[in-house]
Amino acid sequence: MKFEWFVASRYLLSRRKQSFISIISVISIVGVSLGVATVILVIAVLDGVEHGLRDRFLANEAHVAVSKFDRGFFDNYKDRIDAIQKVDGVTSASPVVYTQSAIFQKGSQRIEDVIYIKGIDPEVEDTVTGFSKFVEGSIAFQDQKIIDQASFLNDESVTGGIVLGSRLARNLTLHQGDILRLVVNLQEDPHSPGAYLPRIRNFVVIGFYESELAVYDSRMAFIHLDTAQKIYEEEGSINVILVRLDDPEQAPTIGDKLIDVASFTPIDMPITTTWLDTHAPLFAALELEKMATVIIEALIILVAAFNIASTLIMTVMEKTRDVGTLRTLGASRGNIMYIFMIQGCVIGMLGTLLGTALGLGVCKLLSTNVIRPSPLIAFATIGLLILLQISITLKLILSRMKLKKIVMLVFWIVGITFVLYCLVQPISLEELGLSEIYQMNQLPIKINWFFVGFINLLSFSICWLATIYPAFQASNMRPIEALQYE
Amino acid sequence: MDKLIRVENLEKSFFDGDSELQVLKGVDLEVNKAEILAIMGASGAGKSTLLHLIGTLDRPTSGKIYYEDEDITTYSERELTQFRNTSVGFVFQFHQLLPEFNALENVIMGKLISNRKSGYAGGQKLNRNEMNDRAENLLESVGLSERLSHFPSQLSGGERQRVAIARALMNQPKVILADEPTGNIDDITSEVVFEVLLKVNEELDQTIIIVTHDSRLSNQTNRTVNLVEGKIKY
Repeated sequence: MKFEWFVASRYLLSRRKQSFISIISVISIVGVSLGVATVILVIAVLDGVEHGLRDRFLANEAHVAVSKFDRGFFDNYKDRIDAIQKVDGVTSASPVVYTQSAIFQKGSQRIEDVIYIKGIDPEVEDTVTGFSKFVEGSIAFQDQKIIDQASFLNDESVTGGIVLGSRLARNLTLHQGDILRLVVNLQEDPHSPGAYLPRIRNFVVIGFYESELAVYDSRMAFIHLDTAQKIYEEEGSINVILVRLDDPEQAPTIGDKLIDVASFTPIDMPITTTWLDTHAPLFAALELEKMATVIIEALIILVAAFNIASTLIMTVMEKTRDVGTLRTLGASRGNIMYIFMIQGCVIGMLGTLLGTALGLGVCKLLSTNVIRPSPLIAFATIGLLILLQISITLKLILSRMKLKKIVMLVFWIVGITFVLYCLVQPISLEELGLSEIYQMNQLPIKINWFFVGFINLLSFSICWLATIYPAFQASNMRPIEALQYE
Repeated sequence: MDKLIRVENLEKSFFDGDSELQVLKGVDLEVNKAEILAIMGASGAGKSTLLHLIGTLDRPTSGKIYYEDEDITTYSERELTQFRNTSVGFVFQFHQLLPEFNALENVIMGKLISNRKSGYAGGQKLNRNEMNDRAENLLESVGLSERLSHFPSQLSGGERQRVAIARALMNQPKVILADEPTGNIDDITSEVVFEVLLKVNEELDQTIIIVTHDSRLSNQTNRTVNLVEGKIKY
C-alpha cells in the first residue's frame, strides 16, 4: 500500500480521539448521498415524464400534419397522398377530416361536452397512428347492424359507429351500444330567415380509445372518413393529411418538402405542423425544470462538500503535530497534501456511490409493480431496530460480542432497505387525480445512465475541490512549527 | 577522525514584525563520524534551534552546514526533504509517535515514505516483509520485542522514547539528532533510554548529537560542547 493511502486510511478508520470528527464524516457522507440520490431520482422522474409523453405522443400521433392554414377542405387528396408517400423518409400518410362538435345523449337536451372529431379510414390510419391498437371494442364504423341500430334521424348514410375516448365515455357514463348525438354544424332555418338550426346526427358507440394520454382519451372521438365527409358535404375532400416518418426527429426537415410535393398553391396557404411543434412548450418546460433541478441539487451537493471541507480542516488541526512528525521523517508537501485529499475524496466517493445506489434503488422500487408488505410491518421494523440499538448501547444484550457495531450496521442497512421496499412503491397519478395534468396513470421513471455518470462525476469533482484548501493548508505548514503546535 | 558534519559561522534570527531576535550568533562546530556529542546550555541558549538547523527542519539566516563536505544549505526544499528521510534520524523530547499506528508501523513509517516507486534515490528499497523484519530487529535491540503491536497510548514514556529511537534508526541515517530525549521522563527511565542511545552508538557506530541540560547524561558522551548566548564555548 502506498504510504499516503496507509496513513489516510488509518486516519479515516481510526476512532481514537476524533469521534466527533467521525460523526461529521458520517454526516458529510450522508449529505453527499442524499444530494446525489435526490438528483438521480428527480431527473429519473422528469426524464420518465418526458419520455413517457414522447413515446405516447409518437405512438398516438402522426409525425407531421399537412393542412391549409385555416384547416379548410381541399380535394384531390389521393394524388397528394401518393406524392407524399414517395418522399424519402416517409413511411405512410392518411387522409383525415378533423373538426369539432358538441355532443349530447339521446333523450337529453343538454350539451354534454365539446370534443374533437376525427374522421378516419381505419385501415390507412392504422399505418400512421396505430389507431386500432388503442381501441377496446369494435372499429366496424359502417357495419349495417350498427347503422340500423343508430335510429337515424334523417339520412342513414350519415351515421354509423363512433369510437370514443375512454375517459370521455366514462365521464358521460356511455357504454358500448349507447347512442350519442353530435351537433355537426348549423343550417339555415327555412321557416325563419336569418336563424340557424343545429344539424344533429346519431352515432352508436362501438369502441373506446385508450391511449393513456388524457388529451385524447377525454377529448377525442373517431368516426369513419366517408361519414365525416358526408356530414360536412365535402365528399372527395379532406382537411388534413397525417404523415408518419421513419425518424420522428426529422419531422421539421421533411415537413417542408411535403408541402412542395403535395401540389398546394400559395393561395391555399399550406402549413405543416410537426409533433414537436405541437408539444414544444411542454418539452421546453420540462427541459427548464430539469435544468433548475440540476442546479438546486448541485447546490445541495455543494453544501455537503462544505461539510467535507470543514471536517478536513478540523482533522488537519488535530493532526498538526503528526504532520510535523511526518515531515521530519521525510514526507514531502505533496505527500501531506495527498494524505488529506485522499480522506476527503474517500468521503466524497463513498457519499456519491451510496447516493447513487440509494437513488437507483428508489427508482427501481418506484417503477416495480409488486404487492408490498404492509407499511405497518415497516414501522414495526424501524421500532425493532431502535429497540435493538438502545439495548446494545445500554449493554443490555450482546455486551460481550466483539463485532456488534458491524452487526448493527448490517442490521440497519438491511432494515432500512426493507423499510424502503415496504414504503416506496409506484405512485398512481390516477389516484392522486393528477393523471389528466401529467397525461399518464403512473409516475414514470426513466434512468438516464449518461446523467447518472455525469452527476457522479460532478459530485466527486465538487468533493475533490473541497479537499484542496484544507490539504494545501496541511502541506504548507513548516515542519518545525507543526512539531511545536500545541 | 573522519568529519561527518561541519557547521561554519551559523547564524539564525527570528523576526516578529520589525523586531529581530538573534538566537545563534555564529556557531562553528564539527562532528566526527561515530561520535556521540552532547550539546549543553541553558534554556533559550539556542540548542534546539541549532539541532533543527543541522537536521534541516529550518534554514539558517547565514552560515554553512556541510555533511561530508557537501553544503546542504544550498539544497532545494525537495532535496532537503529527501535528505531528512535518508540521512537524519530524529528523537524528540515528546517522542512524536503517530498515535493511530502501532510501534512497528511507527518504526517503518520513514521507510514507507522513501520506498515508493518515485522514492528517493540512494535509499535501499525494501519490500514490506523486509521492512517489518528490520523494524522488529530494531525494536528488539531497544528491548521492545514484546511491544510490536502496541499503540503509543499503551506504552510507557520510556518505551515510547525507545520506539522513537528505533524509528530514527530505520533508514540507517548518517546522524541521529536527539532533542532532550530524556527531558520528559523520570530519572530511572532516562538512564534506560540513554543506555539505549549509547548502545546504538557503540554497536552500530552511529553518530549521535544529543541536546540536553542533564550533566549526568552528558558526562557519558564522547564530547560535550556548551552553547552560551548563541555561540559554542569549548
